[in-house]
Amino acid sequence: MDKNVAEEKMAQLEWYISKHCLWQYNSRGWDRLIQNERILTKTKQVLRGENAKDDDTTADRYYWSEAMSLAGAFKRYFPWITETSKDDIAQILDLLKERMDFTMVKGSLNQELIKQQY
Amino acid sequence: MPYHQFKCSECIPERLQHAVDKGVDEDLTSALPLGYLNTIPGTISERGCAYCGAKHVIGTPMKNVIHLSHGPVGCTYDTWQTKRYISDDGNFQLKYTFASDVKESNVVFGAEKMLKKNIIEAFKAFPQIHNMNIYSTCATALIGDDINAVAEEVMEEMPGKKIFVCNSPGFAGPSQSGGHHKINLQFLNQWVGTGEPEIYSKYVINYIGEYNIQGDQEIMRDYFYRMGIQILATFTGNGRFDDLRCLHKAHLNVLECARSAEYICDELRVRYGIPRMDIDGFGFEATADSLRKIGYFFGIEDKAEQIIAEEYARWKPELDWYAARLQGVKMCLWPGGSKLWHWAHMLKTEIGINVVSVYTKFGHQGDMEKGVSRCEPGALAIDDPNELEGLEAMYELKPDLIMTGKRPGEVAKKIRVPYLNVHGYHNGPYKGFEGWVRLARDIYNCVYSPAHSLVHLDISKDEIPTDKGFVTRQMLSDVNLSDEIKNSTELRECTSDYDPIPRLRKKLEENLYTFPDPETGEWRQVPLEKLKKNKVVDVE
Repeated sequence: MDKNVAEEKMAQLEWYISKHCLWQYNSRGWDRLIQNERILTKTKQVLRGENAKDDDTTADRYYWSEAMSLAGAFKRYFPWITETSKDDIAQILDLLKERMDFTMVKGSLNQELIKQQY
Repeated sequence: MPYHQFKCSECIPERLQHAVDKGVDEDLTSALPLGYLNTIPGTISERGCAYCGAKHVIGTPMKNVIHLSHGPVGCTYDTWQTKRYISDDGNFQLKYTFASDVKESNVVFGAEKMLKKNIIEAFKAFPQIHNMNIYSTCATALIGDDINAVAEEVMEEMPGKKIFVCNSPGFAGPSQSGGHHKINLQFLNQWVGTGEPEIYSKYVINYIGEYNIQGDQEIMRDYFYRMGIQILATFTGNGRFDDLRCLHKAHLNVLECARSAEYICDELRVRYGIPRMDIDGFGFEATADSLRKIGYFFGIEDKAEQIIAEEYARWKPELDWYAARLQGVKMCLWPGGSKLWHWAHMLKTEIGINVVSVYTKFGHQGDMEKGVSRCEPGALAIDDPNELEGLEAMYELKPDLIMTGKRPGEVAKKIRVPYLNVHGYHNGPYKGFEGWVRLARDIYNCVYSPAHSLVHLDISKDEIPTDKGFVTRQMLSDVNLSDEIKNSTELRECTSDYDPIPRLRKKLEENLYTFPDPETGEWRQVPLEKLKKNKVVDVE
């Protein structure tokens, strides 16, 4: 997929997350990176029709629940996603992960993110 | 950074970084005010203190507990009965408040002996209550009273009594938020893990950061019970002290107000491996999404979908009646800490309201990240505003109403801007599907109040119209509505009861809920006594 097109589609998904999701706002930067990694990876797997469960822990089940919810919402809001190839979904979701890491952590103005303790 | 310079605060240059205008191309890397910093000298803040944040916001909603402030009587009086965190067992926590009534002589000679006497006296006066929360205040923290030692002595002398000591004096943080943090961790350290609960469902959650304002918790409890989920404890609205000792035994922490209670969730995740799931219980879509993902977690998404379908069918036509009449209404959404982000987007998409400003008194930058994200470009985001800034913003933005607490709300009234109380609520509960309709109704009644429109007339100079008499809200709201909407047979006004909570409590008494057995998975009723007062055994 052309990079500009992928970025335009990624921006739509980012908009949805910014308006509807709370999981990206954990109070510490290291925690946000984990949330982004686990939930967006699983969302990508769900959208590509792959197994998104790693183990039977409650932690994994939590990330999977967020991913299932997010993937369902993406399909409701953006019908183009069901017609997008697996490779293109991977490209868009990888861009999304990169963007979320930047907005919520690396480029964030939130001064509390670097505190060590909760 | 698109900082917003208030004219009234030009003499306090540090204030500049506490307000931003969200532009069309702004995101969180370019537009975010400072937050959770010490109030700047010279600005008249609307914040509460750390004692208030611990006691009033989080401690006191616990039911069946004697809430005793160790300090001057004013501290406890000023944090009493101003928020309607009701309980389903008689509202002891609202009816009574206790103080050790520290005086000048106690400051000189110490107040520990008097405190002990007061604790015993309170327990004897209310023999049916076995739990007590003691809150330190500025005065008793400064004189160095050892409240924990006194509490230990009493617990030894009065077996069966349990005392939680909250050391969060007023000066222990920039705002009430400092008190939220302290009471979260102190309760966890002192009491969580000391009880063993009876588990009667396969699906067990803690409901965290929920304070049962006018029955919010009981609305959500109904949904959870309909899904067969056991609520081990609610932190803290309508929550029992004994249940809260068992927080470590849940499968999932469902977190509503992250501002006030994320700390205990994060620690439960680290210490006990219980995941934290943040939810939004306000708004149709947000509540549905929340139930859906809890359903995914336990593998009962079909139960969630069934509730969502039932609730949409019952309440959506009523929400849409108000949404049709509230399109484009301008609102300043100025609550305390979390509702700016819980509500901003849902107000826009589901009721058509244009949120022109968000503010938070005690929120952190994390709250503003959510608030700025969820409001539309053009909105003004303010951290810890002073009264003059609030006035200047209202004069500039000309909102149709503001949703805030009673202190800034009364200020708004003075300049003829109507306000809804979204701290203690006007006619809540506002949570869940039914609650969201009630909020839409209250907004409608506020914006189109014929009585309020009279305040815009100044009898000292304006001509008072004598040719207009009878007027209703609907006569005002329907002026520009299409006939299709006006004559719709599908849309209807709110039909929620004056108070929906007795209906929910009656449903609980009738014991209509079923839960899956933790061993066999068989769905069956659970004795009502367990639903109302689950068995908890003391453990070391």
